[in-house]
Amino acid sequence: MAKEIGADRLGDFYVAGSKVRNRREWRGVQDTLYDYSRWLKIMMTLGKFMMKPRNVKAFFRYRWMANYLAVPMMVDRHTQGLRGEYLRMCHTEQDLIIDDVAKLLDNLFRGDRRIGNDTEFSKKVVLVDENEMTAVMMGFPMLKCLSRETPSTYVSVLLNQHAAEHYIDVAQEFGLAGDVCPMPEAEAGVSIDDDAPVLGACAIQCNTTCDGSLLGNGVISKRLELEDGVPVFQLAAPLRHREDDVQEYAAQEIRNAIAFVEKHTGVKWDWKEYFECAKRVNYATKCRQEWLDMNRTDYPQVFGSNLALYTETNYMAICGRVADFEKADRKLSKLAQQAYKKKMRAAKEYRHRAIVWGVQSHFYMDFLVWLLNCWGIVPLTDMLSMVSTKMIAEEDTPENREQAYYDMAWLTENMIMRNRTHGGYRVLLDELWQFTEEFNADMVILWEHICCKALDGMHGLFEDRARDLGINLVWVQHDLFDPRIINRQGVRDQINNYMRTVMREEPIDPSLEILPDEESW
Amino acid sequence: MSKPLKIVLKILGILFLLFTGTFIIYFFNLDMKLTSMIEPFLLKHYDNIPRNRHL
Repeated sequence: MAKEIGADRLGDFYVAGSKVRNRREWRGVQDTLYDYSRWLKIMMTLGKFMMKPRNVKAFFRYRWMANYLAVPMMVDRHTQGLRGEYLRMCHTEQDLIIDDVAKLLDNLFRGDRRIGNDTEFSKKVVLVDENEMTAVMMGFPMLKCLSRETPSTYVSVLLNQHAAEHYIDVAQEFGLAGDVCPMPEAEAGVSIDDDAPVLGACAIQCNTTCDGSLLGNGVISKRLELEDGVPVFQLAAPLRHREDDVQEYAAQEIRNAIAFVEKHTGVKWDWKEYFECAKRVNYATKCRQEWLDMNRTDYPQVFGSNLALYTETNYMAICGRVADFEKADRKLSKLAQQAYKKKMRAAKEYRHRAIVWGVQSHFYMDFLVWLLNCWGIVPLTDMLSMVSTKMIAEEDTPENREQAYYDMAWLTENMIMRNRTHGGYRVLLDELWQFTEEFNADMVILWEHICCKALDGMHGLFEDRARDLGINLVWVQHDLFDPRIINRQGVRDQINNYMRTVMREEPIDPSLEILPDEESW
Repeated sequence: MSKPLKIVLKILGILFLLFTGTFIIYFFNLDMKLTSMIEPFLLKHYDNIPRNRHL
Protein backbone atom coordinates (compact mmCIF):
# COMPACT_ATOMS: atom_id res chain seq x y z
CA MET A 1 0.00 0.00 0.00
CA ALA A 2 1.78 3.09 -1.20
CA LYS A 3 1.31 6.52 -2.63
CA GLU A 4 4.13 6.17 -5.17
CA ILE A 5 3.44 4.98 -8.68
CA GLY A 6 4.49 1.35 -9.17
CA ALA A 7 5.09 0.62 -5.49
CA ASP A 8 2.25 -1.94 -5.29
CA ARG A 9 2.34 -5.48 -6.66
CA LEU A 10 -0.85 -5.11 -8.69
CA GLY A 11 -1.22 -8.83 -9.35
CA ASP A 12 -1.80 -9.42 -5.64
CA PHE A 13 -5.31 -7.95 -5.93
CA TYR A 14 -6.53 -10.88 -8.03
CA VAL A 15 -8.17 -13.92 -6.43
CA ALA A 16 -8.17 -17.25 -8.29
CA GLY A 17 -11.66 -18.37 -9.31
CA SER A 18 -13.27 -15.10 -8.25
CA LYS A 19 -15.16 -12.61 -10.38
CA VAL A 20 -13.79 -9.70 -8.38
CA ARG A 21 -10.61 -8.49 -6.67
CA ASN A 22 -9.84 -8.79 -2.99
CA ARG A 23 -9.74 -5.03 -2.34
CA ARG A 24 -9.24 -1.64 -3.94
CA GLU A 25 -5.89 0.11 -4.15
CA TRP A 26 -4.44 2.46 -1.58
CA ARG A 27 -3.07 5.37 -3.61
CA GLY A 28 -2.04 7.73 -0.79
CA VAL A 29 -4.60 9.81 1.15
CA GLN A 30 -5.42 12.37 -1.53
CA ASP A 31 -5.79 10.02 -4.48
CA THR A 32 -7.60 7.34 -2.47
CA LEU A 33 -10.13 9.87 -1.21
CA TYR A 34 -10.55 11.17 -4.77
CA ASP A 35 -11.11 7.63 -6.09
CA TYR A 36 -13.52 6.95 -3.20
CA SER A 37 -15.50 10.13 -4.02
CA ARG A 38 -15.80 9.04 -7.67
CA TRP A 39 -16.90 5.57 -6.54
CA LEU A 40 -19.62 7.24 -4.45
CA LYS A 41 -20.71 9.23 -7.51
CA ILE A 42 -20.94 6.04 -9.60
CA MET A 43 -22.97 4.35 -6.86
CA MET A 44 -25.31 7.35 -6.83
CA THR A 45 -25.70 7.22 -10.63
CA LEU A 46 -26.55 3.51 -10.39
CA GLY A 47 -28.85 4.10 -7.41
CA LYS A 48 -30.69 6.90 -9.23
CA PHE A 49 -31.10 4.65 -12.26
CA MET A 50 -32.60 1.84 -10.17
CA MET A 51 -35.02 4.22 -8.42
CA LYS A 52 -37.27 4.11 -11.49
CA PRO A 53 -39.61 1.08 -11.43
CA ARG A 54 -39.37 0.63 -15.22
CA ASN A 55 -35.60 0.27 -14.97
CA VAL A 56 -36.00 -2.38 -12.25
CA LYS A 57 -38.47 -4.18 -14.52
CA ALA A 58 -35.96 -4.03 -17.39
CA PHE A 59 -33.20 -5.30 -15.10
CA PHE A 60 -35.18 -8.49 -14.52
CA ARG A 61 -36.23 -8.80 -18.18
CA TYR A 62 -32.98 -8.44 -20.13
CA ARG A 63 -30.13 -10.88 -19.51
CA TRP A 64 -27.45 -8.38 -20.55
CA MET A 65 -28.56 -6.01 -17.78
CA ALA A 66 -26.87 -8.35 -15.24
CA ASN A 67 -23.52 -7.15 -16.59
CA TYR A 68 -24.20 -3.70 -15.21
CA LEU A 69 -23.59 -5.12 -11.73
CA ALA A 70 -19.92 -4.84 -12.68
CA VAL A 71 -19.82 -1.10 -13.46
CA PRO A 72 -17.57 -0.07 -10.52
CA MET A 73 -15.18 -2.91 -11.31
CA MET A 74 -14.82 -1.79 -14.93
CA VAL A 75 -13.62 1.57 -13.65
CA ASP A 76 -11.23 -0.13 -11.20
CA ARG A 77 -9.72 -2.12 -14.06
CA HIS A 78 -8.95 1.01 -16.05
CA THR A 79 -7.65 3.03 -13.09
CA GLN A 80 -5.27 0.28 -11.98
CA GLY A 81 -1.99 1.78 -10.78
CA LEU A 82 -2.95 5.33 -11.77
CA ARG A 83 -2.21 8.36 -9.63
CA GLY A 84 -2.62 12.13 -9.82
CA GLU A 85 -3.69 13.63 -13.15
CA TYR A 86 -3.89 10.22 -14.87
CA LEU A 87 -6.40 8.99 -12.31
CA ARG A 88 -8.43 12.17 -12.75
CA MET A 89 -8.38 11.90 -16.55
CA CYS A 90 -9.59 8.33 -16.37
CA HIS A 91 -12.44 9.19 -14.01
CA THR A 92 -13.43 12.26 -16.05
CA GLU A 93 -13.94 10.00 -19.05
CA GLN A 94 -15.32 6.89 -17.41
CA ASP A 95 -17.79 8.69 -15.16
CA LEU A 96 -19.16 10.66 -18.12
CA ILE A 97 -19.48 7.52 -20.23
CA ILE A 98 -21.29 5.76 -17.35
CA ASP A 99 -23.66 8.71 -17.05
CA ASP A 100 -24.27 8.71 -20.79
CA VAL A 101 -24.95 4.96 -20.91
CA ALA A 102 -27.33 5.26 -17.91
CA LYS A 103 -29.30 7.91 -19.85
CA LEU A 104 -29.28 5.71 -22.96
CA LEU A 105 -30.68 2.76 -20.98
CA ASP A 106 -33.28 4.94 -19.30
CA ASN A 107 -34.48 6.23 -22.69
CA LEU A 108 -34.52 2.75 -24.23
CA PHE A 109 -36.68 1.40 -21.43
CA ARG A 110 -38.96 4.43 -21.49
CA GLY A 111 -39.92 3.72 -25.09
CA ASP A 112 -39.66 -0.07 -24.94
CA ARG A 113 -43.04 -1.69 -25.68
CA ARG A 114 -42.35 -4.37 -23.04
CA ILE A 115 -41.26 -1.98 -20.29
CA GLY A 116 -42.16 1.73 -20.23
CA ASN A 117 -44.26 1.66 -23.41
CA ASP A 118 -44.30 5.46 -23.76
CA THR A 119 -45.64 5.52 -27.32
CA GLU A 120 -45.31 9.28 -27.83
CA PHE A 121 -41.66 9.11 -26.79
CA SER A 122 -41.07 6.06 -28.99
CA LYS A 123 -42.26 8.06 -32.03
CA LYS A 124 -39.30 10.40 -31.47
CA VAL A 125 -36.73 7.61 -31.35
CA VAL A 126 -34.43 6.72 -34.25
CA LEU A 127 -32.50 3.48 -33.67
CA VAL A 128 -28.89 3.30 -34.88
CA ASP A 129 -26.26 0.56 -34.92
CA GLU A 130 -23.64 0.32 -32.20
CA ASN A 131 -20.80 0.66 -34.66
CA GLU A 132 -22.22 3.58 -36.57
CA MET A 133 -21.24 7.20 -36.91
CA THR A 134 -24.14 9.27 -35.62
CA ALA A 135 -23.32 12.29 -37.84
CA VAL A 136 -26.58 11.86 -39.70
CA MET A 137 -28.46 12.70 -36.47
CA MET A 138 -26.60 15.97 -35.76
CA GLY A 139 -29.44 18.10 -37.14
CA PHE A 140 -32.28 16.38 -35.31
CA PRO A 141 -32.24 17.80 -31.74
CA MET A 142 -35.94 16.95 -31.28
CA LEU A 143 -35.29 13.27 -31.86
CA LYS A 144 -33.59 10.67 -29.69
CA CYS A 145 -30.86 8.73 -31.43
CA LEU A 146 -30.59 5.46 -29.51
CA SER A 147 -28.55 2.33 -30.03
CA ARG A 148 -29.79 -0.97 -28.63
CA GLU A 149 -26.55 -2.77 -29.42
CA THR A 150 -24.37 -0.35 -27.44
CA PRO A 151 -25.71 -1.36 -24.01
CA SER A 152 -26.64 -4.95 -24.85
CA THR A 153 -23.33 -6.07 -26.36
CA TYR A 154 -20.66 -3.38 -26.72
CA VAL A 155 -20.71 -1.99 -23.15
CA SER A 156 -21.68 -5.36 -21.67
CA VAL A 157 -18.43 -6.96 -22.86
CA LEU A 158 -16.45 -4.05 -21.44
CA LEU A 159 -18.11 -4.77 -18.10
CA ASN A 160 -17.96 -8.55 -18.14
CA GLN A 161 -15.64 -10.51 -20.42
CA HIS A 162 -18.17 -13.38 -20.63
CA ALA A 163 -21.15 -11.15 -21.49
CA ALA A 164 -21.46 -12.08 -25.18
CA GLU A 165 -20.96 -15.84 -24.87
CA HIS A 166 -24.65 -16.65 -24.39
CA TYR A 167 -25.68 -14.61 -27.45
CA ILE A 168 -22.89 -16.01 -29.65
CA ASP A 169 -24.12 -19.51 -28.76
CA VAL A 170 -27.73 -18.58 -29.51
CA ALA A 171 -26.76 -17.24 -32.96
CA GLN A 172 -24.85 -20.44 -33.76
CA GLU A 173 -27.69 -22.58 -32.42
CA PHE A 174 -29.82 -20.98 -35.17
CA GLY A 175 -27.31 -21.86 -37.87
CA LEU A 176 -25.19 -18.73 -38.15
CA ALA A 177 -21.55 -19.38 -38.96
CA GLY A 178 -19.15 -19.81 -36.05
CA ASP A 179 -16.17 -18.20 -37.71
CA VAL A 180 -17.51 -14.71 -38.32
CA CYS A 181 -16.72 -11.74 -36.10
CA PRO A 182 -18.35 -12.42 -32.71
CA MET A 183 -19.45 -8.79 -32.34
CA PRO A 184 -22.18 -8.69 -35.01
CA GLU A 185 -22.86 -12.35 -34.23
CA ALA A 186 -23.60 -11.47 -30.60
CA GLU A 187 -25.75 -8.53 -31.71
CA ALA A 188 -27.73 -10.86 -33.96
CA GLY A 189 -27.91 -13.31 -31.02
CA VAL A 190 -29.58 -10.65 -28.85
CA SER A 191 -32.23 -10.16 -31.54
CA ILE A 192 -32.76 -13.92 -32.05
CA ASP A 193 -32.98 -14.43 -28.28
CA ASP A 194 -35.80 -11.86 -28.14
CA ASP A 195 -33.67 -9.80 -25.80
CA ALA A 196 -33.64 -6.40 -27.52
CA PRO A 197 -35.89 -3.53 -26.47
CA VAL A 198 -38.61 -2.82 -29.03
CA LEU A 199 -39.16 0.84 -29.82
CA GLY A 200 -38.60 3.58 -32.35
CA ALA A 201 -40.17 5.38 -35.29
CA CYS A 202 -37.49 4.05 -37.61
CA ALA A 203 -33.92 2.76 -37.67
CA ILE A 204 -30.73 3.42 -39.62
CA GLN A 205 -28.28 0.59 -40.12
CA CYS A 206 -24.86 1.05 -41.64
CA ASN A 207 -22.60 -1.24 -43.66
CA THR A 208 -20.16 -0.81 -40.83
CA THR A 209 -17.02 -2.79 -41.43
CA CYS A 210 -17.42 -6.25 -42.79
CA ASP A 211 -19.45 -9.18 -44.08
CA GLY A 212 -20.15 -10.27 -40.50
CA SER A 213 -21.66 -6.91 -39.76
CA LEU A 214 -23.90 -7.08 -42.83
CA LEU A 215 -25.00 -10.56 -41.76
CA GLY A 216 -25.89 -9.34 -38.26
CA ASN A 217 -27.77 -6.32 -39.59
CA GLY A 218 -29.78 -8.54 -41.92
CA VAL A 219 -31.01 -10.67 -39.02
CA ILE A 220 -31.81 -7.65 -36.86
CA SER A 221 -33.56 -5.61 -39.56
CA LYS A 222 -35.73 -8.56 -40.58
CA ARG A 223 -37.18 -8.72 -37.07
CA LEU A 224 -37.42 -4.94 -36.77
CA GLU A 225 -39.26 -4.46 -40.06
CA LEU A 226 -41.40 -7.57 -40.39
CA GLU A 227 -42.27 -8.21 -36.74
CA ASP A 228 -41.93 -4.93 -34.89
CA GLY A 229 -43.03 -2.65 -37.74
CA VAL A 230 -39.97 -0.39 -37.48
CA PRO A 231 -38.79 0.66 -40.99
CA VAL A 232 -35.03 0.40 -41.51
CA PHE A 233 -32.79 2.47 -43.78
CA GLN A 234 -29.57 0.85 -44.98
CA LEU A 235 -26.87 3.51 -45.10
CA ALA A 236 -24.28 2.10 -47.48
CA ALA A 237 -21.16 4.22 -47.08
CA PRO A 238 -18.39 3.58 -49.65
CA LEU A 239 -15.53 1.40 -48.47
CA ARG A 240 -12.89 3.03 -50.72
CA HIS A 241 -13.29 6.19 -48.69
CA ARG A 242 -10.09 7.91 -49.78
CA GLU A 243 -11.19 8.00 -53.44
CA ASP A 244 -12.65 11.27 -54.72
CA ASP A 245 -15.04 9.58 -57.10
CA VAL A 246 -17.06 7.95 -54.32
CA GLN A 247 -17.78 11.14 -52.38
CA GLU A 248 -20.81 12.32 -54.36
CA TYR A 249 -22.44 8.91 -53.90
CA ALA A 250 -21.61 9.03 -50.17
CA ALA A 251 -23.17 12.51 -49.81
CA GLN A 252 -26.31 11.31 -51.61
CA GLU A 253 -26.62 8.45 -49.11
CA ILE A 254 -26.62 11.04 -46.31
CA ARG A 255 -29.32 13.11 -48.09
CA ASN A 256 -31.39 9.93 -48.48
CA ALA A 257 -30.94 8.97 -44.82
CA ILE A 258 -32.04 12.43 -43.63
CA ALA A 259 -35.09 12.34 -45.94
CA PHE A 260 -35.94 8.88 -44.55
CA VAL A 261 -35.82 10.12 -40.94
CA GLU A 262 -37.89 13.22 -41.81
CA LYS A 263 -40.50 11.04 -43.52
CA HIS A 264 -40.90 8.58 -40.65
CA THR A 265 -40.74 11.02 -37.73
CA GLY A 266 -42.29 14.13 -39.25
CA VAL A 267 -39.38 16.17 -37.83
CA LYS A 268 -37.44 18.55 -40.08
CA TRP A 269 -33.65 18.82 -40.22
CA ASP A 270 -32.33 21.77 -38.16
CA TRP A 271 -29.27 23.47 -39.73
CA LYS A 272 -28.63 25.71 -36.74
CA GLU A 273 -28.29 22.67 -34.47
CA TYR A 274 -26.20 20.85 -37.06
CA PHE A 275 -23.59 23.61 -37.15
CA GLU A 276 -23.53 23.79 -33.33
CA CYS A 277 -22.70 20.08 -33.28
CA ALA A 278 -20.13 20.61 -36.05
CA LYS A 279 -18.31 23.14 -33.83
CA ARG A 280 -18.14 20.55 -31.05
CA VAL A 281 -16.89 17.88 -33.47
CA ASN A 282 -14.10 20.26 -34.51
CA TYR A 283 -13.27 21.07 -30.90
CA ALA A 284 -13.00 17.35 -30.07
CA THR A 285 -10.75 16.89 -33.12
CA LYS A 286 -8.54 19.79 -32.03
CA CYS A 287 -8.20 18.36 -28.50
CA ARG A 288 -7.44 14.87 -29.80
CA GLN A 289 -4.74 16.27 -32.06
CA GLU A 290 -3.18 18.12 -29.11
CA TRP A 291 -3.14 14.92 -27.06
CA LEU A 292 -1.57 13.01 -29.93
CA ASP A 293 1.05 15.77 -30.32
CA MET A 294 1.95 15.33 -26.64
CA ASN A 295 2.19 11.60 -27.20
CA ARG A 296 4.84 12.21 -29.84
CA THR A 297 7.10 13.68 -27.11
CA ASP A 298 8.87 11.96 -24.22
CA TYR A 299 5.94 12.81 -21.95
CA PRO A 300 2.76 11.29 -23.41
CA GLN A 301 -0.29 12.13 -21.33
CA VAL A 302 -3.65 10.96 -22.78
CA PHE A 303 -2.82 7.47 -24.00
CA GLY A 304 -3.73 3.80 -23.54
CA SER A 305 -7.31 3.12 -22.59
CA ASN A 306 -7.69 6.79 -21.55
CA LEU A 307 -7.38 7.65 -25.24
CA ALA A 308 -8.99 4.59 -26.82
CA LEU A 309 -12.27 4.28 -24.92
CA TYR A 310 -12.95 7.99 -24.87
CA THR A 311 -12.25 8.48 -28.58
CA GLU A 312 -14.56 5.62 -29.50
CA THR A 313 -17.38 7.16 -27.50
CA ASN A 314 -16.83 10.82 -28.26
CA TYR A 315 -15.98 10.56 -31.95
CA MET A 316 -18.57 8.05 -33.08
CA ALA A 317 -21.43 7.68 -30.60
CA ILE A 318 -21.56 11.32 -29.51
CA CYS A 319 -20.36 13.13 -32.68
CA GLY A 320 -20.86 16.62 -31.26
CA ARG A 321 -24.44 15.99 -30.12
CA VAL A 322 -23.80 16.16 -26.34
CA ALA A 323 -22.40 19.37 -24.86
CA ASP A 324 -21.07 17.60 -21.74
CA PHE A 325 -18.39 15.92 -23.83
CA GLU A 326 -17.02 19.33 -24.87
CA LYS A 327 -16.61 20.17 -21.17
CA ALA A 328 -14.84 16.85 -20.65
CA ASP A 329 -12.54 17.57 -23.63
CA ARG A 330 -11.61 20.88 -22.02
CA LYS A 331 -10.99 19.30 -18.61
CA LEU A 332 -8.91 16.49 -20.09
CA SER A 333 -6.77 18.96 -22.03
CA LYS A 334 -6.21 20.98 -18.85
CA LEU A 335 -5.18 17.91 -16.85
CA ALA A 336 -2.91 16.74 -19.67
CA GLN A 337 -1.22 20.15 -19.91
CA GLN A 338 -0.66 20.19 -16.13
CA ALA A 339 0.90 16.73 -16.17
CA TYR A 340 3.00 17.60 -19.23
CA LYS A 341 4.40 20.73 -17.58
CA LYS A 342 5.33 18.67 -14.52
CA LYS A 343 6.90 16.03 -16.85
CA MET A 344 4.78 13.38 -15.16
CA ARG A 345 4.74 9.71 -16.07
CA ALA A 346 1.95 7.21 -15.48
CA ALA A 347 4.21 4.29 -14.53
CA LYS A 348 7.50 3.99 -12.72
CA GLU A 349 9.39 3.00 -15.85
CA TYR A 350 8.82 3.58 -19.57
CA ARG A 351 10.80 1.03 -21.60
CA HIS A 352 9.15 0.92 -25.00
CA ARG A 353 7.08 3.30 -27.07
CA ALA A 354 4.39 1.34 -28.89
CA ILE A 355 1.73 1.89 -31.50
CA VAL A 356 -1.17 -0.52 -30.96
CA TRP A 357 -2.65 -1.53 -34.31
CA GLY A 358 -5.51 -3.72 -35.44
CA VAL A 359 -8.79 -4.27 -33.61
CA GLN A 360 -8.32 -4.78 -29.88
CA SER A 361 -9.73 -7.66 -27.86
CA HIS A 362 -12.88 -6.07 -26.55
CA PHE A 363 -13.13 -8.45 -23.59
CA TYR A 364 -9.76 -7.19 -22.42
CA MET A 365 -9.79 -3.44 -22.95
CA ASP A 366 -7.67 -2.87 -19.84
CA PHE A 367 -4.86 -4.80 -21.55
CA LEU A 368 -3.33 -1.41 -22.41
CA VAL A 369 -3.04 -0.61 -18.69
CA TRP A 370 -1.47 -4.04 -18.15
CA LEU A 371 1.12 -3.43 -20.91
CA LEU A 372 2.26 -0.31 -19.13
CA ASN A 373 2.28 -1.68 -15.59
CA CYS A 374 3.75 -5.10 -16.34
CA TRP A 375 6.32 -4.41 -19.06
CA GLY A 376 6.67 -0.61 -19.24
CA ILE A 377 5.29 -0.61 -22.81
CA VAL A 378 3.63 2.77 -23.40
CA PRO A 379 0.65 2.43 -25.78
CA LEU A 380 1.04 5.88 -27.36
CA THR A 381 -1.95 5.50 -29.62
CA ASP A 382 -4.07 2.79 -31.18
CA MET A 383 -5.63 2.19 -34.57
CA LEU A 384 -9.13 3.03 -33.39
CA SER A 385 -8.01 6.42 -32.12
CA MET A 386 -6.39 7.38 -35.43
CA VAL A 387 -9.57 8.67 -36.98
CA SER A 388 -10.40 11.72 -39.09
CA THR A 389 -8.52 14.92 -38.23
CA LYS A 390 -10.24 16.94 -40.94
CA MET A 391 -12.05 20.07 -39.75
CA ILE A 392 -15.64 20.17 -41.00
CA ALA A 393 -17.62 23.26 -42.07
CA GLU A 394 -19.05 24.92 -38.96
CA GLU A 395 -20.53 28.22 -40.17
CA ASP A 396 -24.09 28.27 -41.42
CA THR A 397 -23.85 29.54 -45.02
CA PRO A 398 -25.60 28.25 -48.19
CA GLU A 399 -22.30 26.82 -49.47
CA ASN A 400 -21.59 25.11 -46.15
CA ARG A 401 -25.04 23.55 -46.08
CA GLU A 402 -24.07 21.73 -49.26
CA GLN A 403 -20.61 20.97 -47.91
CA ALA A 404 -22.20 19.54 -44.74
CA TYR A 405 -23.54 16.52 -46.64
CA TYR A 406 -20.00 15.74 -47.76
CA ASP A 407 -18.70 16.26 -44.21
CA MET A 408 -21.26 13.92 -42.70
CA ALA A 409 -20.48 11.41 -45.44
CA TRP A 410 -16.76 11.75 -44.73
CA LEU A 411 -17.31 11.12 -41.00
CA THR A 412 -19.55 8.13 -41.75
CA GLU A 413 -17.02 6.65 -44.14
CA ASN A 414 -14.28 7.28 -41.58
CA MET A 415 -16.00 5.82 -38.58
CA ILE A 416 -13.84 4.00 -36.09
CA MET A 417 -12.25 0.77 -37.36
CA ARG A 418 -13.62 0.91 -40.94
CA ASN A 419 -11.42 3.94 -41.75
CA ARG A 420 -8.41 1.58 -41.36
CA THR A 421 -9.75 -1.89 -42.12
CA HIS A 422 -11.18 -0.65 -45.43
CA GLY A 423 -9.93 1.99 -47.80
CA GLY A 424 -6.93 0.23 -49.22
CA TYR A 425 -3.40 -0.75 -48.46
CA ARG A 426 -2.35 2.83 -47.60
CA VAL A 427 -4.66 3.39 -44.61
CA LEU A 428 -3.91 0.08 -42.92
CA LEU A 429 -0.28 -0.60 -43.73
CA ASP A 430 1.56 2.48 -45.05
CA GLU A 431 0.18 4.89 -42.47
CA LEU A 432 1.12 2.58 -39.61
CA TRP A 433 4.82 2.99 -40.45
CA GLN A 434 4.31 6.71 -40.87
CA PHE A 435 2.87 6.83 -37.33
CA THR A 436 5.68 4.73 -35.85
CA GLU A 437 8.12 7.31 -37.21
CA GLU A 438 6.09 10.33 -36.08
CA PHE A 439 5.62 8.90 -32.59
CA ASN A 440 9.19 7.68 -32.39
CA ALA A 441 7.88 4.21 -31.56
CA ASP A 442 10.17 1.19 -31.34
CA MET A 443 7.38 -1.35 -31.05
CA VAL A 444 4.09 -2.24 -32.72
CA ILE A 445 1.57 -4.36 -30.85
CA LEU A 446 -0.48 -5.86 -33.65
CA TRP A 447 -3.82 -7.29 -32.67
CA GLU A 448 -4.84 -10.19 -34.86
CA HIS A 449 -8.56 -10.70 -34.51
CA ILE A 450 -8.71 -14.30 -35.72
CA CYS A 451 -12.24 -14.04 -37.13
CA CYS A 452 -11.64 -10.76 -38.96
CA LYS A 453 -11.45 -11.52 -42.67
CA ALA A 454 -10.51 -7.94 -43.52
CA LEU A 455 -7.03 -8.21 -42.00
CA ASP A 456 -6.08 -11.85 -42.49
CA GLY A 457 -4.36 -11.39 -45.84
CA MET A 458 -2.00 -8.68 -44.63
CA HIS A 459 -0.01 -10.74 -42.10
CA GLY A 460 3.12 -11.24 -44.20
CA LEU A 461 3.12 -7.66 -45.47
CA PHE A 462 3.21 -6.31 -41.92
CA GLU A 463 6.09 -8.63 -41.02
CA ASP A 464 8.15 -7.70 -44.09
CA ARG A 465 7.86 -3.98 -43.46
CA ALA A 466 8.55 -4.26 -39.72
CA ARG A 467 11.70 -6.26 -40.48
CA ASP A 468 12.85 -3.66 -43.03
CA LEU A 469 12.31 -0.82 -40.57
CA GLY A 470 13.75 -2.59 -37.51
CA ILE A 471 10.51 -2.29 -35.54
CA ASN A 472 9.66 -4.89 -32.89
CA LEU A 473 6.37 -6.32 -34.12
CA VAL A 474 4.39 -8.36 -31.60
CA TRP A 475 1.36 -10.28 -32.86
CA VAL A 476 -1.42 -10.73 -30.33
CA GLN A 477 -4.22 -13.06 -31.37
CA HIS A 478 -7.71 -12.87 -29.88
CA ASP A 479 -11.36 -13.41 -30.78
CA LEU A 480 -12.75 -9.96 -29.97
CA PHE A 481 -15.86 -10.82 -27.87
CA ASP A 482 -15.19 -14.44 -27.02
CA PRO A 483 -12.59 -15.21 -24.29
CA ARG A 484 -13.29 -18.95 -24.61
CA ILE A 485 -11.17 -19.08 -27.78
CA ILE A 486 -8.13 -17.21 -26.44
CA ASN A 487 -8.49 -16.09 -22.86
CA ARG A 488 -6.93 -13.05 -21.19
CA GLN A 489 -3.90 -15.02 -20.04
CA GLY A 490 -3.53 -16.34 -23.60
CA VAL A 491 -3.42 -12.72 -24.76
CA ARG A 492 -0.87 -11.79 -22.09
CA ASP A 493 1.29 -14.85 -22.78
CA GLN A 494 1.93 -13.68 -26.34
CA ILE A 495 3.47 -10.49 -24.96
CA ASN A 496 5.22 -12.30 -22.09
CA ASN A 497 6.85 -14.76 -24.50
CA TYR A 498 8.04 -12.02 -26.83
CA MET A 499 9.40 -9.86 -24.03
CA ARG A 500 11.29 -12.74 -22.43
CA THR A 501 12.58 -14.55 -25.49
CA VAL A 502 13.12 -11.79 -28.07
CA MET A 503 13.67 -8.73 -25.89
CA ARG A 504 15.35 -10.68 -23.03
CA GLU A 505 13.63 -8.48 -20.47
CA GLU A 506 12.18 -9.05 -17.02
CA PRO A 507 8.78 -7.58 -16.12
CA ILE A 508 8.59 -4.37 -14.11
CA ASP A 509 5.83 -5.87 -11.98
CA PRO A 510 6.28 -9.70 -12.02
CA SER A 511 3.02 -10.21 -10.11
CA LEU A 512 1.14 -9.19 -13.28
CA GLU A 513 2.77 -11.69 -15.63
CA ILE A 514 0.35 -14.52 -14.87
CA LEU A 515 -3.04 -13.60 -13.46
CA PRO A 516 -5.87 -15.88 -12.32
CA ASP A 517 -8.61 -13.87 -14.06
CA GLU A 518 -10.32 -16.46 -16.25
CA GLU A 519 -13.46 -16.34 -14.12
CA SER A 520 -13.25 -12.62 -13.53
CA TRP A 521 -15.77 -10.10 -14.84
CA MET B 1 -23.48 21.34 26.51
CA SER B 2 -25.88 23.58 24.58
CA LYS B 3 -28.59 22.07 22.40
CA PRO B 4 -27.30 23.46 19.03
CA LEU B 5 -23.82 22.08 19.81
CA LYS B 6 -25.35 18.68 20.58
CA ILE B 7 -27.16 18.69 17.22
CA VAL B 8 -23.97 19.66 15.38
CA LEU B 9 -22.04 16.89 17.14
CA LYS B 10 -24.79 14.40 16.34
CA ILE B 11 -24.72 15.37 12.64
CA LEU B 12 -20.93 15.14 12.59
CA GLY B 13 -21.13 11.72 14.28
CA ILE B 14 -23.64 10.46 11.71
CA LEU B 15 -21.48 11.79 8.86
CA PHE B 16 -18.41 10.13 10.35
CA LEU B 17 -20.22 6.79 10.66
CA LEU B 18 -21.52 7.10 7.09
CA PHE B 19 -18.03 7.88 5.82
CA THR B 20 -16.47 5.00 7.77
CA GLY B 21 -19.13 2.52 6.64
CA THR B 22 -18.97 3.45 2.97
CA PHE B 23 -15.19 3.67 2.98
CA ILE B 24 -14.95 0.13 4.37
CA ILE B 25 -17.33 -1.06 1.62
CA TYR B 26 -15.23 0.79 -0.97
CA PHE B 27 -11.81 -0.29 0.22
CA PHE B 28 -12.56 -3.96 0.74
CA ASN B 29 -14.54 -4.10 -2.51
CA LEU B 30 -17.59 -5.35 -0.61
CA ASP B 31 -19.98 -3.87 -3.19
CA MET B 32 -18.49 -6.02 -5.96
CA LYS B 33 -18.22 -9.09 -3.73
CA LEU B 34 -21.94 -8.82 -2.99
CA THR B 35 -23.03 -8.24 -6.60
CA SER B 36 -20.86 -11.12 -7.83
CA MET B 37 -22.84 -13.42 -5.52
CA ILE B 38 -26.14 -12.16 -6.96
CA GLU B 39 -25.24 -12.79 -10.62
CA PRO B 40 -25.77 -16.62 -10.72
CA PHE B 41 -29.32 -16.24 -9.36
CA LEU B 42 -30.08 -13.61 -11.96
CA LEU B 43 -28.81 -15.82 -14.79
CA LYS B 44 -31.12 -18.63 -13.63
CA HIS B 45 -33.98 -16.17 -13.61
CA TYR B 46 -33.25 -15.05 -17.20
CA ASP B 47 -33.14 -18.70 -18.33
CA ASN B 48 -36.72 -19.11 -17.13
CA ILE B 49 -38.21 -16.15 -19.03
CA PRO B 50 -40.41 -17.31 -21.93
CA ARG B 51 -39.01 -15.98 -25.21
CA ASN B 52 -40.02 -15.82 -28.84
CA ARG B 53 -36.69 -17.06 -30.19
CA HIS B 54 -36.29 -17.11 -33.94
CA LEU B 55 -34.18 -15.76 -36.77
